Amino acid sequence: MSTTNNFKTSAKDAQALLDSEKLTFAQRISRVQALQIVLVLAVIVAVFSIMSPDAFFSAFNLRSMAMNASIFIVLGVGVTFVIITAGIDLSIGSVLIFSSVISAMVMENLGASGWTTALIGLVAALVSGLAWGLINGLLIAKANVPAFIVTLGTMGAALGLSQVITGGIDLYQIPTEMVDTIGFGNIIAEVPNLVVIAAAVCVIGGILLHGTRFGLTTYAIGSNPEACRRVGIKVDRKLIMIYMISGITAGLAGWLSLAFFQQTAIGGNSMTPLTVIAGVVIGGTSLFGGIGTIFGSVIGLLIPVVLQSGFIIIGVESYWQGVVIGIFLIAAVYIDGLRRDRAAKGSGNKPKRRQVGGVDLGSTNKKGTQ
Amino acid sequence: MKSTLKKSAISVISAGVIAGLSLGMAPSASAAGEDIVFIQGVKGDGFYITMGCGVDAAAKKAGAKVTTVGPAKFDATLQKPILDSIVAKKPDAILIAPNDVNAMQKPLENAAKQGIKIVLVDTTVKNPKFAASAISSNNFAGGREAFNAVKKLVPGGGQVLGIGVKPGISTTDARDSGFKSAANKDSKYTFIGQEYSDNEPAKAAQITTAAIAANPNLKAIFASNLFSAQGAATGIKQAGKEGQIIVVGFDAGPDQVKALKAGTVQALIAQQPYSIGEQGVKQAIKAINGQKTKKKITTGFTILTKDNVNSTAGKAAQYLSKCS
Repeated sequence: MSTTNNFKTSAKDAQALLDSEKLTFAQRISRVQALQIVLVLAVIVAVFSIMSPDAFFSAFNLRSMAMNASIFIVLGVGVTFVIITAGIDLSIGSVLIFSSVISAMVMENLGASGWTTALIGLVAALVSGLAWGLINGLLIAKANVPAFIVTLGTMGAALGLSQVITGGIDLYQIPTEMVDTIGFGNIIAEVPNLVVIAAAVCVIGGILLHGTRFGLTTYAIGSNPEACRRVGIKVDRKLIMIYMISGITAGLAGWLSLAFFQQTAIGGNSMTPLTVIAGVVIGGTSLFGGIGTIFGSVIGLLIPVVLQSGFIIIGVESYWQGVVIGIFLIAAVYIDGLRRDRAAKGSGNKPKRRQVGGVDLGSTNKKGTQ
Repeated sequence: MKSTLKKSAISVISAGVIAGLSLGMAPSASAAGEDIVFIQGVKGDGFYITMGCGVDAAAKKAGAKVTTVGPAKFDATLQKPILDSIVAKKPDAILIAPNDVNAMQKPLENAAKQGIKIVLVDTTVKNPKFAASAISSNNFAGGREAFNAVKKLVPGGGQVLGIGVKPGISTTDARDSGFKSAANKDSKYTFIGQEYSDNEPAKAAQITTAAIAANPNLKAIFASNLFSAQGAATGIKQAGKEGQIIVVGFDAGPDQVKALKAGTVQALIAQQPYSIGEQGVKQAIKAINGQKTKKKITTGFTILTKDNVNSTAGKAAQYLSKCS
């Protein structure tokens, strides 16, 4: 009972709330964590804008922030799917590097110029990402190795292989067309192509997650994989596909990163997986599975970028960004706990007195992860 | 309802934390002079800290205002967003040590287009045409200087070996080839090869012991970064050749100086980051005021050995961990 109830309020969160007449407006708002986080982002932007209206809220800076968040957001779409199934993908940063290395090598061999080369490079990056996603998915779904361990392993393996292939030296031969258009070009006026691509990925991801059977199954697997198996959903196959989605977004991110940084950045991206996972969780996707939205992830991923830019502009030591993001992350998981607690209470199966603070996540979430 | 309140409270508190930090930490801006930003190659590194001290000193003298920022790692993906935020502030000039020759090219070009004067310090980009000035050590000359140190310490000649980090880094490549070309020109010395340690002391030690076994007349090793030098010293100790083979290191940060004083390395080639910073500010101010700037400036080196490390000149050549 609690399972179905939980599932309904989470998967179709907004929908269910609109249908419900018993809730006040404030309660409705508070139920959608994505909306709360929009408020938080709005407050952050407002504070920085008041303190530095000319620099922070300038068209240039807004454009820069959007561009700097784009690659994280592309990664975040894939990670949102994974975390909704109560999984995790730590390998995205390394898969990004691996895909960009393979893509750069392919493009270099083709002469490193022209759109045809760039598009073949894109295919190479996507295939590389997909391959790592397939490996992750197979090991998690078929070999039953916990996702944390599998992706920790492939995180090291993908980076290691990238270093073996290149000898640790970054590759630089990127077609200029790709750099000028994808990395730095605008579609119209001051709207960067990079941001348009990220937005397109979000729309596709959003439709897949919120508007299709596949998306519904994703939530269901996160809520209760055992129940899914019993009603005949091929959980293993779905899980493999979901890790492949995460792989393909990492592959795309690798190609975008090539266009943006004009090099493979083998030494970089060490913090990328944690930044993305933190952003997705801050955006309201539950680490325990079954809850989450693409929209929330986008907002959650904008926060670190906005904070860093704002801190630099107003002259605060940018190391504070890490501190503030840490506070947000813990607050987000705490709120998630409260929400699960209330959902369980709402089902009527629970005694009226709930645990103090509702932080006892284990008791409100019996669906288990691994 | 109660929990709704609680959640709103959390949101408000989180936002409050930022507002508080922002208000509490923001330094009071001084109205005077030119507004200059120094973007380091990486935070917390003796080389850039010393450069920053030079920047501060020169700016103070000229009455300009300086803000210093930098990425936590030497990584262009971290430095680029920092540059973007700084450009949004539209300072008069930016002094920057670019993290990558390609990745920072366009962002810096765009900043220059907006009228911000750019001065490149230490590292550079692929095509620095837009920059008002580029100031750095001549790393090729640095490698030559390392060979001069070898000549001083081992006047009798013999075999010499180079151990670098890895191929493909413009600065260390130039150092290595400067050393090689100087060694090849002197008939008393034989350059036996350039090896790479991948920044692993253990690997540098292996390379060293293998080289000693194969080359009984090995007299000196030029290790162009800290870990290579430490590994080379370990390898020499392992082979029981202490005192017979010397190690020349590069840079003079606190760790390197410690190694010199402890006798694990016999000489250090110190760059002049303080001077790079000072001259950077001078060129930036000239550019802001529309005066002619020097497009390219190269700074020199100091050879540090046990004999001069405690002298006034030797102390001045060491990198700082904070400005005095």
